[in-house]
Amino acid sequence: MSSTITETQTQHTDKDSLLKPERSQLGLLRPDHSKNVFVSWLTTVDHKKIGIMYGALALLFLLVGGLEALVIRTQLAFPENDLISAQRYNQLFTMHGTTMIFLAVMPLNAAFFNFLVPLQIGARDVAFPRINSFSLWAFVAGALVINFGWLLEALEMMGLFSASGPTAGMNDFVPAMGWFGYAPITGMEFTGSGTDFWIMGLQILGIASLTASMNFVVTIINMRAPGMKMMRMPVFTWMTLVVSLLIIFAFPAITVALGQLMFDRLFGTSFFSTAGGGQPILWQHLFWIFGHPEVYILVLPAMGIVSEVLPAFSKKPLFGYAIVVFSGAVIGFLGFAVWSHHMFTTGLGKVATAAFSLLTMAIAVPTGVKIFNWIGTLWGGRVRFAPPMIFALGFVWMFMMGGFSGIMHSSAPADAQQQDSYFVIAHFHYVAIGGIFLAVVSGIYFWLPKIIGKMWKGNLSTYVAILSTVGLNVTFFPMHFLGLLGMPRRTHTYLAGFGWETYNLVCTIGAYILAFGIFLLVVDIIRCFRNGEPAGDDPWDARTLEWATTSPPQVYNFARTPIIHARDAHWENKYGPENLRMEYQADDGHGIHMPSNSWMPLIASLGFVPLGLGLSLMQAGVPFMGYTAIFGLIVIGSAIALWAIEGPGGYHLHPQ
Amino acid sequence: MNRHRIVSFQLVRRVLSGCFFLPMILLLGGCTLDTRMSTFVTKGPVAETQYDLFMITVWVTLFIFIAVGGAYLFVVLKFREKPGDDRPLPTQSHGNPFVELGLIGVSILLLVIIAVPTVQGIWYTHITPDTESARLGNWYNGTALSEGEEDEVLTIRVLGYQWWWEFEYPQLGVTTANEMVIPAGKPVHLELRSVDVIHSFWLPRIAGKVDLIPGRANSMWIQAGDDFDQWQAKHNPVGSEMELQQSYQDYLEDEIHNYYYGQCAEYCGDSHARMLFRAHVVGDDEFADWIDSQKQGHNAPDGKSWEDWYAAYDSDPDSLTGDINEGLKLFIGRGQCSGCHAIDGNPRTIAGVAGPSLTNVGERHSIAAGWLNHRNEDGSINDDLQYANFVKWIKETDVVKPGNLMWRTRLGNGLGQMKDPLTDDEIHKLSVFLQTLK
Repeated sequence: MSSTITETQTQHTDKDSLLKPERSQLGLLRPDHSKNVFVSWLTTVDHKKIGIMYGALALLFLLVGGLEALVIRTQLAFPENDLISAQRYNQLFTMHGTTMIFLAVMPLNAAFFNFLVPLQIGARDVAFPRINSFSLWAFVAGALVINFGWLLEALEMMGLFSASGPTAGMNDFVPAMGWFGYAPITGMEFTGSGTDFWIMGLQILGIASLTASMNFVVTIINMRAPGMKMMRMPVFTWMTLVVSLLIIFAFPAITVALGQLMFDRLFGTSFFSTAGGGQPILWQHLFWIFGHPEVYILVLPAMGIVSEVLPAFSKKPLFGYAIVVFSGAVIGFLGFAVWSHHMFTTGLGKVATAAFSLLTMAIAVPTGVKIFNWIGTLWGGRVRFAPPMIFALGFVWMFMMGGFSGIMHSSAPADAQQQDSYFVIAHFHYVAIGGIFLAVVSGIYFWLPKIIGKMWKGNLSTYVAILSTVGLNVTFFPMHFLGLLGMPRRTHTYLAGFGWETYNLVCTIGAYILAFGIFLLVVDIIRCFRNGEPAGDDPWDARTLEWATTSPPQVYNFARTPIIHARDAHWENKYGPENLRMEYQADDGHGIHMPSNSWMPLIASLGFVPLGLGLSLMQAGVPFMGYTAIFGLIVIGSAIALWAIEGPGGYHLHPQ
Repeated sequence: MNRHRIVSFQLVRRVLSGCFFLPMILLLGGCTLDTRMSTFVTKGPVAETQYDLFMITVWVTLFIFIAVGGAYLFVVLKFREKPGDDRPLPTQSHGNPFVELGLIGVSILLLVIIAVPTVQGIWYTHITPDTESARLGNWYNGTALSEGEEDEVLTIRVLGYQWWWEFEYPQLGVTTANEMVIPAGKPVHLELRSVDVIHSFWLPRIAGKVDLIPGRANSMWIQAGDDFDQWQAKHNPVGSEMELQQSYQDYLEDEIHNYYYGQCAEYCGDSHARMLFRAHVVGDDEFADWIDSQKQGHNAPDGKSWEDWYAAYDSDPDSLTGDINEGLKLFIGRGQCSGCHAIDGNPRTIAGVAGPSLTNVGERHSIAAGWLNHRNEDGSINDDLQYANFVKWIKETDVVKPGNLMWRTRLGNGLGQMKDPLTDDEIHKLSVFLQTLK
């Protein structure tokens, strides 16, 4: 990193409180060391603060998505219920899926990536701190755009807004075509501006994910501490690397597809409309070649978390580290070769159906390998039922259940009965809640003491675990039967007399149990924030490098860069032989080079809001929206230009 | 450390047993698997193949569940830390390549058990059987077929609309909507197309689903009940050829002839939940009768010929009185129904294409694509309910099926073209008229 500029600009001082903001090359004061809390968070380039913000926003959206699910379940509790209209129901299930995948789970994973990866590899920060800030705020902009329809819907109900453009009369301002938006229902003849918000919102979220992923790949490849070889990296960091590469290869497919769809709607092309010679089926291929890797983008970090928690609470290294890492990579690779198993009922033909059927079975092998290795990790260990551990143990069990129904789907003829029925809903919620959610909660219980430096109080976590596991099973196990008894998914109501009533009522009760569990989780987190006692650096007697620094970590992470001699570096440092213990680089008197905060990433990302809303609202006939979009583009362009011109800045810290 | 945070083993056990017993409770709680759209109790070779494959996956995964889940439970319980546990730190072992490779090998073997029948099943469910007995010429005993068609399997063109189904029998020259009629024990080739968005044809007890995709010609085959050879192979009956034929016919009548429920399975917009359909599975003779009656269409009311009726209608419409005549006048006149709906036989409605054909609509056991039902337990039609359903559908078409074309273009007051909506009395007359279409 260049230090020539900073040497001249910063005064060497011993205490950071004495540091004063310096001027950027634009001549403006940098927002460093601001006394204002908001400014320091809005302009931060610290991976830890960014991670915390990702996490907080993701938890908020998790609650929003959960609330949407509760309304859905309440509507379905009884046959021919009319709590909400068909249109509202369709909006709710669309936004539930979109919110949970893109606004809750992906940013939750990003929160862990951000906070943990630099700590786990002994780096000071990610490779591109300002791009990291840009990714966060672009995610916020995308979330705003995608949810903007709710505001319009409310305004319309109050009589303050009505659409007059090409899609007038289709007053679905909230997306209502399902989270995978199969063409041609996304066409202008069938859906209103909700679809435009969805297209633009996802496009922006894609930019956020792509920039973040490139950042992590560069960070993990280049910024590992001395001695932290690839095969010494914690498994969570490995999974971050695999997931980042998956995002980089998978997102371009949806970017192209969304671009084509946007052109279909805005400029009258016909990629997906049969009237102009387009092919609706093309969308499904483009979507799922993104969409299936996306499934692994969601679940591999969860596997990474569990691969950290299980060894820590068994006091044993991960069984078959190399094979766990390798199988993660194989899952990622094969994830690109199974997309058409979402399309077994679209008439792919015999050979393609058979090929994708067999490849889907093949992907069960590396997934099974992980489960074997987790059991191997527990074998002979000292298994302690601490809060993170009970969720991780629950994950293995529930994820296995989701895997079994996955194997059932892989047999294409059997899938012809299961596809688009409640059986699929059961399958992917076992993976999503039993898998991803439990693992993420395990991660929260494991790392929150590190993140905020406070320890959990009491044993509320036990009740969270019981309620969420029971709720999950009561909600989703009956759905296997519902699906096999012929109930199609995405139906806002159903007739009595098909044998679905009891199951649906049980599912709804389960959803409320699960919701109560999640409510208790929020209570527990708040209690930890308010009343938690100091956690200490290593409250769980854990194994990886992040536990070697303070809780919460200082802004510079490690006062001196560690030199690594083993996998599970922190554990070997505590209990290992002399030659595997950590060393620290000698102080060269130079101090730690810190990056300057910046407004530019925030401003550049906020430019996405007028861009996205402008392009979306053109359909609704709102005046001047084209100009708004151009204004957004100008904001993005100029903020990125100023970002380049203002220079990297930076200052030095000299921890004791 | 942190003794109070160590979860009691009791609680964990309770949670785990809850997961295990829940399905039992549901099954014992009177939830039968023999329901209208069950995929467990199948009535045809396609659904049966699919069910058999499903059960193979169930047994294989159940085996894995017991083996792996058992090992997992054993490990968690055996190696759990007990209060006052003073075991030394475990050996820091890193894995065992032979164990890993062995487990991978076993996994692959287990998957092969599923893979082989899966590939066989894919081929079986994709190729419409073309056996001698399946050809139209060998069993269809209605009006004559053209030359080439005698050697073909019965074909039905399924056309998906938002939110109803059209069933066209191209070889037999018949079109109906929402309730298809198929012969028992015969393979039927379905050509699936959509005119607007993607739909999916799902008749669970007879066959799994295939999508109707605009711009794409999909196809599938269905068969209600076994054909004679399949039935013979399954039951190994003894007796003379005559006796066998007789007991095969009994099997079809007792177990297969029925009213089957289907539904659109791909999200297709506002009223996706209300896009249902039915299949009447009938014997060969009844099928031929139904085709003939469809072909013949309807006669004019009062025993008139259509020429006479329309002559009267054109010269002096008021001479045609009574609810049925009034209803028909509304149908082709002020109600604008005939712009979209065809009633075969009636010379001035045959152009209708945008809505379901109403030929013999009075014989159907449901209207509004299966949402409004008037079928009695014994399979007859409840006339009062049928009347009420027609009234409800015409009057509240937007409530019954939000967003549908009939509301948007004809009856609605928002975008609708009808300034002066039908009165209750007019709706009554239309309903009475529609009930006579049988």
